[in-house]
Amino acid sequence: MVTAISKGSEATMGGIDSALKPRLRLRTPTEYAGWVLSILVGLGILASVLTNPNFKWGIVGKYFFAESILRGLMLTVFLTVASMALGTLLGLALAVMRASHVKPVSIAAGLYLTLFRGTPVLVQLIFWFNISALYPDLRIGIPFTDIGTAVDTNAIMGPITAALVGLTLNQAAYMAEIIRGGFSAVGKGQIEAADSLGMSAGMRMRKVIIPQAMPSIIPATGNQFIGMFKETSLVSVLGVAELLQSAQLIYARTYETIPLLIVASLWYLVMTLLLSYPQSQLEKRYARATSTLPRKAKRVAQPEGAAR
Amino acid sequence: MSTDGTIHARGIRKSFGHKTVLQNIDLDVASGEVCCIIGPSGSGKSTLLRCINGLETVDLGVLKVNGETFGYQETETAYHALSRKKLAQQRTRVGMVFQQFNLFPNMTAQENVMSGPVLVKGEDKKKAAARADELLASVGLDGHGFKYPAQLSGGQQQRVAIARSLAMDPEIMLFDEPTSALDPEKVGEVLAVMKDLAKKGMTMVVVTHEMGFAREVSDSLLFMDEGYVIERGDAREVLGNPKEARTRAFLEKVL
Repeated sequence: MVTAISKGSEATMGGIDSALKPRLRLRTPTEYAGWVLSILVGLGILASVLTNPNFKWGIVGKYFFAESILRGLMLTVFLTVASMALGTLLGLALAVMRASHVKPVSIAAGLYLTLFRGTPVLVQLIFWFNISALYPDLRIGIPFTDIGTAVDTNAIMGPITAALVGLTLNQAAYMAEIIRGGFSAVGKGQIEAADSLGMSAGMRMRKVIIPQAMPSIIPATGNQFIGMFKETSLVSVLGVAELLQSAQLIYARTYETIPLLIVASLWYLVMTLLLSYPQSQLEKRYARATSTLPRKAKRVAQPEGAAR
Repeated sequence: MSTDGTIHARGIRKSFGHKTVLQNIDLDVASGEVCCIIGPSGSGKSTLLRCINGLETVDLGVLKVNGETFGYQETETAYHALSRKKLAQQRTRVGMVFQQFNLFPNMTAQENVMSGPVLVKGEDKKKAAARADELLASVGLDGHGFKYPAQLSGGQQQRVAIARSLAMDPEIMLFDEPTSALDPEKVGEVLAVMKDLAKKGMTMVVVTHEMGFAREVSDSLLFMDEGYVIERGDAREVLGNPKEARTRAFLEKVL
């Protein structure tokens, strides 16, 4: 068909068949200027980074795989994973409380969110580290009786514990908001359908609301995870030897401040890039899942009766 | 005489804020009866239906479903709201089919139908699965059990929703405009399932705009407007020979 039309057409110019000529995109002077400017600035920065001896790339290389740096990296990873895991669980509890019909429960959760989202994490971390000034002894026991034991708060609240507590409690507040957003994305009709079948509130939450809220919660949680990885650098103020503090400990001795900050930054960058790939995959997967098929749709090929 | 499958309402009132949506409604549905409720949108017909299943609470009046005061326990001075658990027990005896189907998108058709028996009644999964397949076959969806709602057409989804309600063995089925969200060509398959159900003697209350269905299947008919029941009676009688001017005006527009 196509060839028939083009043969019949008389509009062949410059030797090439008019119907087969490629269509070119519009290129504006602004576009060319953008290219030139970006390349010039990029080359300038690169030249400066490579030629300025103060960067001391040799020292960066020397410390990049240093044992104390890697140890710090491990601690950073641990703090990220632990505070995200605990924070998500606590956040889920807070989100459920926030959605409660019992006013005091909902208000309590609301107050928590306001308090922990309204104050800087750094302040919260220092606060937890110094909690013994407020409560010198932690007592575990039955209220209004003498039964129980008291523990010195300082013995429990070491720097790492304080870091974990501070990051977890703060993260819980943010996760609660994300999870609550996911809950509200579940249609009213779903809740009515669950109710009309006589489901209990807990059943409705576990089998209907949470599975459907997941597509909007999971990508946002991935983002929080990446954010938390960088946020752990704040706990260096408590003297916790995570990645940044490990670098600081070295340059306090050697005065090679910039190279060691570069070492730490490169590790943060590497880890963030490593995390952002699965994150983007998660986002794609769940963006699709909400509009068309649920994520379990692969199981479709299974025979009947295979339902859980 | 058994009161299973009956609805008895006297003087039902319901307001949302300052707006009264149900004014002094009486309703009697006998066991095995099919009652259609028609009327313009905003007339309160859906709200009335939702009260019978506890999705809305009644402000005033008597409401007995299956012979029991619904959602409340009557004492000498007041109606005390039932615990969620007891309300759930009453609800399992009343099936509800929604305009928007409201199937659980995270479950297959079979899992949707099983969800009530397994999650609420704690029935054995294998038995419930077999029963779900039977129910799906009875609504013409044999072999579709493994599909997710998103893989089914609107008409198929609504039939799954009917099967899901039937899985709880309700004595009464409520239908809230079950065909209004469907493509015109899919309306027939859902109405066929409902006719079949009526023939089997299910008590049904149907809010609908399908006058043909009302004429053919319904025993009694209510015409509602602005929260009042304007006219009621034998379905064919009301549709063929409406006595009230407002009923006539409405029917002229929709027929």
